[in-house]
Amino acid sequence: MDSLQYVPQSSTAEIEFPVGLRVLVVDDDVTCLKIMEQMLRRCMYRVTTCSQATVALNLLRENRGCFDVVLSDVHMPDMDGFKLLELVGLEMDLPVIMMSADGRTNLVMRGIRHGACDYLIKPVREEELKNIWQHVVRKKKNENKEYEHSGSLDDNDRHKRGSDDAEYASSVNEGAEGLLKIPKKRRDAKEEDDGEQENDDPAAAKKPRVVWSVELHQQFVSAVNQLGIDKAVPKRILELMNVPGLTRENVASHLQKFRLYLKRLSGVAQQQVGIPNSCCGPLEQNGNHSSLGGFDIQALAASGHIPPQTLAALHAELLGRPTGTLVSPGMDQRLLQASFKGPAGISIDHGVAYGQPLIRCPSNISKQVPQSIIAAENVNTALGGWPPNGPGTVGPLTNLGGLGAQSGNILMGMLQQQQKQTLQSEPSRSINVQPSCLVVPSQPSASFQAGKNPASMNQNCSFSRSSAINYSLVSPQSNNISFGAGQVSDGNLKTPSVLNGYSGPGSISPSMLSCSINADNIPNRQLQNSTLASTAAGQLPGFARNASDTQGSYGFNSGQVLDQGPLRNLGFVGKGNSIPSRFAVDEAESPMGILDYGKFQGGSNGNKVKQEPSMDFVENGKVCIPIIQNFSPNDLMSVFSE
Amino acid sequence: MIIRVLKIWVFVFYVKGVLDEQFLELQQLQDETSPNFVYDVVNIYFQESEKLIRNLRGLLVDKEFSDYKKMGKHLNQLMGSSSSIGAKRVNNICLAFRAASEQNNRPACLRALELLENEYCYLNNKLHEFFQVMIDSPSSTTTAPFC
Repeated sequence: MDSLQYVPQSSTAEIEFPVGLRVLVVDDDVTCLKIMEQMLRRCMYRVTTCSQATVALNLLRENRGCFDVVLSDVHMPDMDGFKLLELVGLEMDLPVIMMSADGRTNLVMRGIRHGACDYLIKPVREEELKNIWQHVVRKKKNENKEYEHSGSLDDNDRHKRGSDDAEYASSVNEGAEGLLKIPKKRRDAKEEDDGEQENDDPAAAKKPRVVWSVELHQQFVSAVNQLGIDKAVPKRILELMNVPGLTRENVASHLQKFRLYLKRLSGVAQQQVGIPNSCCGPLEQNGNHSSLGGFDIQALAASGHIPPQTLAALHAELLGRPTGTLVSPGMDQRLLQASFKGPAGISIDHGVAYGQPLIRCPSNISKQVPQSIIAAENVNTALGGWPPNGPGTVGPLTNLGGLGAQSGNILMGMLQQQQKQTLQSEPSRSINVQPSCLVVPSQPSASFQAGKNPASMNQNCSFSRSSAINYSLVSPQSNNISFGAGQVSDGNLKTPSVLNGYSGPGSISPSMLSCSINADNIPNRQLQNSTLASTAAGQLPGFARNASDTQGSYGFNSGQVLDQGPLRNLGFVGKGNSIPSRFAVDEAESPMGILDYGKFQGGSNGNKVKQEPSMDFVENGKVCIPIIQNFSPNDLMSVFSE
Repeated sequence: MIIRVLKIWVFVFYVKGVLDEQFLELQQLQDETSPNFVYDVVNIYFQESEKLIRNLRGLLVDKEFSDYKKMGKHLNQLMGSSSSIGAKRVNNICLAFRAASEQNNRPACLRALELLENEYCYLNNKLHEFFQVMIDSPSSTTTAPFC
C-alpha cells in the first residue's frame, strides 16, 4: 500500500470521515492481527499493527496525536490488556476497544469498568469494525460537553471519580486538555499563551478555569514538598504558592489529582482509588488529609513502594529542580506497569519494580526535562478535531499555552523521553513491530526505531512476502515458499515434514486423509511415512520438520499428513477418483458450476499436471457442488457476490 | 470461475462443520491488494497454533502439572485465532478444553488435548487440500490463484 502520508487537515477531510481513521491494533496473536489489519484496511482506515503491548504504548507515546483509536486484545503476555487500556486512557485519552476470544460476561464487564469504549468478541467481523469510528466521535463529544459543563473543577472531579477509569482519565486531563479540546470557536475567546491561570468572563456563574501550566505545577509541587505530602493542605499550599487569583478550590482539586497520580505510580490497586475519594470530602479538612495521606503512606509502605515523599520529590526533580533521586530509565516501564495494578486477579510484578533502587539519572536528562515536558504535553491536540494534526506536532511542540501539565502526563512524558533514548540505544528491546506488517518468526525482528518518522511508521505495507509466493507447487520456478516443502521438484511435491505426532494414539489412519498433494507419485513417501511412524509415539517431538529449509515459513510446515496408499482416492486432486464418501452427495446438482468450470478449462494453459486434476474434477460427477443446494443459497452466495 | 471452485470447497468444509462462516468472511477479505490473503493467514494460523498445541501438550504431559492458568492463556489464544479463521470444530473443542482446564481436571484436559490434536490435524489436511485445489485450478491470467 502506499505509504501513509499525512493528509493535511482540510474541510474535505471532514467529509471523508471516517475514512482514514488511524487505528492502532495490538494483539499478540499474529493470525488475528493480520485479519484485523485486513479488515480495517478494507474499512478504509489507516492501520498500524503491533504484537506487543509495550511497543504499542511507546508508539502511542511517541506519536501523540497520530492515532484516533486503539484496539487491543485483553490477554497479552507482556502487559495485561486492561492495563494498557488504563494507560492509554490516562495518558493519551484515546478510545480503546478491547477484544477477546473470551466473551464471558464477567470479563466483558471488567473491560467496560476499566473504561473500554467497546468490547469485541472474536471472531471479529468486518461490520463491527466499520462502526468503531463512532467511539471516536462520541468520546470527543463527551469531552467537549464536560468542558462546557465544568463548574468548579473539584466538583466535577469528585463526581467522576466514582465512575470508571476512562472518565477519570478524562477528568484528570481536563485541566490539560480541556483547553485544547475546545472547539475552534472558543479558542478565540481564550488566550492560549499565558501560562498562568485564566479567567473566564466573570459574568458566567462558573468559576474561572485554572490551567495548570508547567510553572504553576512546579510551584505547586515544591509547595507540597515543603509541607510534606501527607500534611499538604490546600490552604497552606496556596499560601506557599502565592499565586494571585488562584483559589483554594483549584489547589484542592489539583492536589487530589496529584495524590491519585502518585498513588498510581506506586502501584496501589485500582480499586483503592475509590477509597480516598470517599474520604476526600471537603479537602480542606485536615482530618481527611491525614487519612488520605495516611492511606498513602500506609499502602505504600506496606507494599514497600516508593514513599510519597520520594515520589513527590521525584516529581519536583522532573520539573527541573534538583533533588535527591531520579528514576532510572530502565525503571520507567516497570514503574508504569506497576502503577496499574488491576483489580484482584491481575497482579503485576511489584517485586520487580520495587526491587530497583532509584538511581540518579544522568544529568543530561534533567536538562532535557523542560523540553520533554513540553513534548509530552502534546496533549492529543489531534483529538480536538478531526482530522488531527499530523506528525508535525510530534516533535518539538510549540508551547500550547497553558499546557496544564498534569502531573501524570509530565512524569509519563518524562519517562517516555527517557525511554525514547533507551530505545534508541537498545535494539535488544526486540521490538518486532513492523508498520502494519506481520511479524513472522523467521524474519529478523525489526528493532523499532523510536525516532522514526511517524509517517513511515504508519506505513501500511502489504505483506511483502506474499507477493513473492508462487503457489504453483508444480512449476519449477516456484520459489522456496511452498506447501511446507523445502524443495519442490518438478511435478513432485515433497512434503517431508511430518505432521503428526498429534494423533498421539497411533498413526494416522488412511481414512484420515490427506494431503492434497499432487496426484503424481511422490517417491519419497515411504521415507516420510516411516518418519511419521517413528514419531507417532504419543509425544510429539516438536513437529519434526524436514531438513529442507522452509523459506519464509509460509509453507505448511506443520501440515502434511501423507496418506499411506491411495492418495489418488482423494477427491479433487487425484485422477479419476471417487470422492471419499463423506463428500459425496446426491447428484441433483446444478450443472452450472461444473459447466463453467469446464469452460474455464479451455482457456488455461497450465501444464499437464495442472490440468489433470481439473479434468478429473469435471469428469467426476460426484462433486460437491450439489451441496450448494443443501444450504440456503442466500447467505453463502451473497458472500461471494462479485 | 475460481470463485466457484472456491465455493465448492468451502461448502465441503462447511458441511462438515469444520469451517464456518468466518472462513467465508476471510475469503471476502481477499482482494487485489492482498491477493494471497487467505493463504497467508492460514499459514500463519498453522504456525502459531502448532506452537500453542505443542505448548499445551508440553504442559499436560508433566505429571506435576498445575499451571492451569497458563494453559488457559494458550487456549484463549488458540480459540481466538481458530475462531477468527473459521475453524469451528477446533474452536469448539477448545471450549471444552477450557472448561476442563478451569476445573483443574487433568484427565479431562488430556482427553480434550487429544481431540484437539486430531481435529487440528484434520483441519490442516482439509485446508491443504483446499489450497491445492486452488493451485491446480487453472488460473486465468495471474499467477496468484485466488483471483
